[in-house]
Order: sequence, then structure tokens, then C-alpha cells
Amino acid sequence: MIRLVNATVEYPGGTRGLNDVSLEINPGEFVVVVGLSGAGKSTLIRTINGLVPLSSGELYVDGEAVHEMKRRELRALRAKVGMIFQGFNLVDRASVLHNVLVGRLHAVPTWRALTGLYPAEDKQLAAQALDRVGMLDRAHSRATALSGGQRQRVGIARALAQQPKVVLADEPVASLDPPTSHSVMQHLQQINRTLGITSLVNLHFLDLAVAYADRIIGLRDGVLVFDGPGSECTPEVFEGIYGRSLTADDTLTDEASLG
Amino acid sequence: MTLAASQASPPLPQRPQTSRFALWGSVVAVILTVITAITVEFSFAELIENLSRRNLVVEGLLQPDVSQIWSDRSLRAFIETLQLAVLGTATGGLVALPLAMWATDFGNPNPVLRNIVRTFNAVVRSIPDLLWALLFVTAVGIGVLPGWLALFFFSIAVVSKLTADTLDGIDRGPIEAAQASGATITEMLHTSVVPQILPAYTSFILYSFELNLRASAVLGLVGAGGIGARIEFFRGRGEWSEVWGLVIMFFLVVFIVERISVSLRRRLV
Repeated sequence: MIRLVNATVEYPGGTRGLNDVSLEINPGEFVVVVGLSGAGKSTLIRTINGLVPLSSGELYVDGEAVHEMKRRELRALRAKVGMIFQGFNLVDRASVLHNVLVGRLHAVPTWRALTGLYPAEDKQLAAQALDRVGMLDRAHSRATALSGGQRQRVGIARALAQQPKVVLADEPVASLDPPTSHSVMQHLQQINRTLGITSLVNLHFLDLAVAYADRIIGLRDGVLVFDGPGSECTPEVFEGIYGRSLTADDTLTDEASLG
Repeated sequence: MTLAASQASPPLPQRPQTSRFALWGSVVAVILTVITAITVEFSFAELIENLSRRNLVVEGLLQPDVSQIWSDRSLRAFIETLQLAVLGTATGGLVALPLAMWATDFGNPNPVLRNIVRTFNAVVRSIPDLLWALLFVTAVGIGVLPGWLALFFFSIAVVSKLTADTLDGIDRGPIEAAQASGATITEMLHTSVVPQILPAYTSFILYSFELNLRASAVLGLVGAGGIGARIEFFRGRGEWSEVWGLVIMFFLVVFIVERISVSLRRRLV
């Protein structure tokens, strides 16, 4: 589904977000990316929908060469790839439904978006997405009226409304408390299991990574340093990825253990 | 024991010297004021002498002809002024919104086009309302049309400037979300940017309307229609009572409109 070949991202100033990463992610996999902040997790996720362009190397998503795409093709690619953000990225003043319909923009003509006359079919898809995360009854609430966990579920619904083949989640639970974090991770897992959507999730809580991932990818200074199933991830492996011993801050629960 | 007595007070750091720049700046400002006063031959004696002479303008002020308020022609001129202000604000304010958004990095990723829009906005802003009116009176002749065109451009200047400042401070998150979902720029601006700035933008439109109402009185003086033309008519004939009657009427209208607008704007933000 996703294939990176010697992918490198160099930011202005010379820092390398990604350094010669080669990687293949199969359809329907639930992959968690771990690494310290600045290790290139966000960069990796943002290359896949073309928000961050590759400096060199190749990237294929669903068989198409992303590194060769022009703006119009990139929009078509992004339609197939849903994204979930750490800060939710909702329009606070607008309704929940308005926010979820952003996920349908790629499919509706601009004049319909401008007039707000979305086709019934697209509204239905938005409603279905909201229903899947248990937020349908709040469709007409303002986004500001929701709690953090509810806002992230709206964020997930917005991505789902796209009917994506791939979902990218950049630290989706970093701004949430532990019980809410689990609820959001369960929603992501359920979407992956029931809809078969390939999922790539950045996390910095290692216990969450082990609990939910089919496969874990470790990044350090932009380099791929680990790639294997969650069951192989012992504390020693994580210490190798982090380049230091683990602390209580590395897990969602207070003990520095991976349970 | 008081706090001060219980411990030796630490020495206060020395106050920094008043900057030389500020000192010399004030000296230069005073000298410039004196020089300009001398060169324009300003004198209090002359001012008092002029005011104590028989003055038709001041006499008119003491006996304003308020009946002007109900005269058919003045009333019609007034309605024309209001129409000019509404039309100029609505059209100019509407055009200002995309112009402000196309001047931002997210609304216009092409740096060449973005600089063209920015330059256009800067030029429109640097021309004052009265100059717009003079330009259009010369270009399209005396009447309501040049007045509307002047207020159209003046509104673009005011609203696009204030909206641009608001756009600088918006939350970029929803923009990224719309981009990541495959939306076009126009769709992204409509769904992610406009809801964020709408209250402020509406308030700028009302503010621009207040400015336009006041400006539209002056526009008439150069032939761009409205109540200004009527005031200019009486001024030319030296009928100061009528002039003052109209000014009082204008004052009342502006005052009422401004009160309404201010209270509306307060509710928006």
C-alpha cells in the first residue's frame, strides 16, 4: 500500500527529517511509529500525503508515485488518505457537521462547498462517519462545546468521511488524558479492523504502541532503526530506539514498564 | 517588625539614563513646530481679529435653518448619501475579503501572484477617499457614480487592511486539515478560514460603513453626489443658515448610525 525507497527529506538549513528510509507497509496493517520528538515521526507521516515533499528517493502510495506528483495529483492522493492531528485541527466556531464535511470537500464541486449545498449522499457519509465514533447526536453542536476526547473523535470522523484507503494519525492522543487516550486508540483500531483501512500512527507512549500495534517502526534522527511486530518490542529495543534508558514519561501509565 | 526593618534592603539597580535619542527627538519636534508656525504666518492676534469682525459663517451657526431637514431636495440628497454609503461598503467590503485572503501565504501559494495582490492592496490603501472621488469625477463625470466608485475603493482599502491583520493571527490547524483532505484552495479558505474571521470581518464592514457615511458628505464637495453636493450648493450662494441646518441634520444621522453600529459590533466580538 505504501512503499518508501531511500526516502530522504532535508529541511532548509540542512536538518534531515528523514534519512535514507526504505519501508513497505501492506494493505490493512496497523503500524505505530515511535521515536523521540524530532526523530522524524511527523515528517514520515507528512511525506505520505505529500504535505512534506521528498528531497530524494521514491514514495509510492496505492501504486502511484507521490514524489512525481503535481498539485492536482496531490489533491487526488490526499482524498484517499485521511489525516488525524495532535491538536485536532477543528474549526472551533463551526458545527461538528461542518468540520466533518471538510472530509467530503475533495468529492464535491467548489460551488457546492461555497453555498453549503452539499449533496445528500455526502451528508449521509458524514453522518455515518460521526455515527461510527459515537458522535452523531452532537452533529449540530459547536466544536468548542466538546471535550478533548470528543473533539478527537470528530477529527477521526472527518478523516473517515473521506472514505480513505489510508489513515495517518500524528500523535492523536498526546493532548488527552489516559482513559480518553485508550478510547481514541480503540476507535482507530476498530476502524482498521472493520474497514480494513491501512493505518499509520505516531505515538510517544510506548505502552500504547505495544498494546495496539500490529507492527512497530522505530525512528532515530531520521533513520529507520527498528521494524518488527509489537511482541518483539522489549524495553531494550525501545532503549535502542531512544538512545537512552526509559523513564516514567515514556509510558501512559505511571510506571516505566510495558506491562 | 516590618519587612523593611527586618532585612537590609537590596540596592535598587540604577535607573537607565534617558536615551539621547528621545531627548534630541523632542528638541527637533519642538523646533520643527515653531518653524512651521512661523512659515505659515500663524498669529493669535490675527485669529482674534478675524473672529471679532462681523462673520457671516458664525452668524449662520447661530440661526441654523433646520427646516432644511424636511425640504424635499435635501431629504433626497440625504437618502442618496445613505445609498452611496451602503452600496460602496457592500461592494467594496465584499471584494476586500478575497483580496485580503489572496495576499496570505496559505491563500495564495504562488509568490508572484501573491506579490501582485499585495502591491495592489498597498496602492489602494495609500490613496485617500477624497482623491478617489476627484479621480472618478474627472473620469466619469459629476454624479452618484463617481461617489460610489470612490467609496468602493475606500472600503476595499479599510476592510482588506483590517482583515489582513486578523488573518495573521488565525489558527493554522484547520487549514492543514483541509489541505490534507484534498480540498482546493478556495474550498479550504471557505471552510477553514472564513468561519474563523467572520465576526471580525462583519465588524470591519460596519466600521467601514461609518467611515463611508462621513466620507460621503465630503465627496459631494468635489461633485460626487449626495448631501455634500447640497451643502456645496448653499455654501456657494453664501446661505450659511441653510448650510448649518444641513450640518446639524448630518450630525444627527451620523451620530445615530454610529451608536447602532458600535453596539452591533460589540455584540459580534
